[in-house]
Amino acid sequence: MCIFKLKNPKILTFFVFLLLLAPKIVFSDDHNSSMNDPFEQTNRTIFNFNNTLDDNFFKPVAKAWRKVPEIPRKPISNLATTAKAPISLANAVLQLNRESIGNILAKFLINMTFGLGGMVDMAGKEEFGGIPTVEEDFGQTLAVWGVPEGPFVMLPIFGPSSVRDSIGLGVDTVTNPLTFAYRMSNIGLEARLTGPVVRGVNTREKYLDYVDELKAGSLDFYATMRSLYRQRRQKEISGNLEDDKMSLNNIPIDVYDEPDLASEIETIVKEELSSETAIKTPLNPKKRVYNGIMPSSLYPDFNESRVNLIN
Amino acid sequence: MFLKRFLPLLIIIIFPLTTSSDENLSKSKVFLEKLGQEVIEKVSNIDITDSERQNNFKKLYLSSFDNYYISKFVLGRYWKTIDKQVQKKFVDSFNNYIVATYAPKFKGWEGTFKAVDSQIENNYYNVKMNVINKEGPKMKMMWKLYINKNNKFKILDVNLEGVSMLVTQRAEFLSVIKNHPQGVFGLIDAMNKRASAVGS
Repeated sequence: MCIFKLKNPKILTFFVFLLLLAPKIVFSDDHNSSMNDPFEQTNRTIFNFNNTLDDNFFKPVAKAWRKVPEIPRKPISNLATTAKAPISLANAVLQLNRESIGNILAKFLINMTFGLGGMVDMAGKEEFGGIPTVEEDFGQTLAVWGVPEGPFVMLPIFGPSSVRDSIGLGVDTVTNPLTFAYRMSNIGLEARLTGPVVRGVNTREKYLDYVDELKAGSLDFYATMRSLYRQRRQKEISGNLEDDKMSLNNIPIDVYDEPDLASEIETIVKEELSSETAIKTPLNPKKRVYNGIMPSSLYPDFNESRVNLIN
Repeated sequence: MFLKRFLPLLIIIIFPLTTSSDENLSKSKVFLEKLGQEVIEKVSNIDITDSERQNNFKKLYLSSFDNYYISKFVLGRYWKTIDKQVQKKFVDSFNNYIVATYAPKFKGWEGTFKAVDSQIENNYYNVKMNVINKEGPKMKMMWKLYINKNNKFKILDVNLEGVSMLVTQRAEFLSVIKNHPQGVFGLIDAMNKRASAVGS
């Protein structure tokens, strides 16, 4: 007997398709193998679609969300984060990650009791030990179990991913304990989507300025996003700033393997340093206080007031 | 008996080495904190013009980073496919591109750079640093540097919250080269256009 009935079996079919496809394409050795992006053309098309959707929908929504007063914005965000705790906990258990289990469980219990049912992040405060927000997903669990990430995939709406993480996303969606709770309580799809939508808008709002900067400064925005996704994902999985396997530490410093060229470049740099005008600083720089918003003159709406420096 | 006889000798031999290494670990942290302070004073400052900011950033970048190593790394396998003159042209364009891309990002930025740890591995100094904003998020950084033949620290890579500047730049450049009919020349052209667009 089927425990639950999928309302949209096409989603499951898609993830099963990816799962079947994964072993074949993980080890493919075509001209794109160094970038591990055999679907690049399709991915770029989806990326362009996502960007158009972002410019016309997600970005304006995120900007509007930024203008919402701290209350109710923060409690709603906290609730959405708390709602993700059960699936994160389940994955932390599957990974046998004691630290994550402890953090997720402690944060969930503290916020549900002292934090008004998850609306206030009491666990994150110093008084409660400043417990960090830990999110674990099935893509990470698969990685811990040794499943390779597979080729890069650009998902519509969800954005950059890999075959492994796409499967993880599907499994998380289907097996989320909250999904079962919603079904048992006959809560509709609209209500179920609230959590992911709020988390999505929240994340987009957080990266509003960064994405614009990145877009403005990149020669190939798609390639930059692909690389950033992979590196960030590696950090989330390993917990380390640097991937041990990819570390430059493993490569000998070969700066002198072309000594002539190295010294020529050194000479050019020295000449440039001496020829250009000297470093200028104002004699009496004013003391300022930074309010936490990252400014950038590349941001389309940049103006000095956004820098938020109070004299 | 053997140990008793040679232990003082071993200590004499090893001690200066460890002291020197410890000293350099500490120096690497000081070097980066000083650089951070200079960036805040000379690049972030909103009382200077944009061209002064670019000039100041360029000075700090050229004097602190290993331009040859970085250029070679970001070009990957294509480095060997171009002749020496093009390599030099690439280094020059890349430096200007980096300055044009990063200098404006620091405008008005203020925070504290605190080096928390430094470790040496295969001659690489890995310095962990916290970037602390007055009220904003705390970010984790890792710098990779080495001591060059002139006994000066040179930065090879900056890693911010798990994202390496070198790895990101290389991924982007290799993609540009692959998709551009003129390959490396196309990349140089694109970098020059970007640098002049920001500089104008």
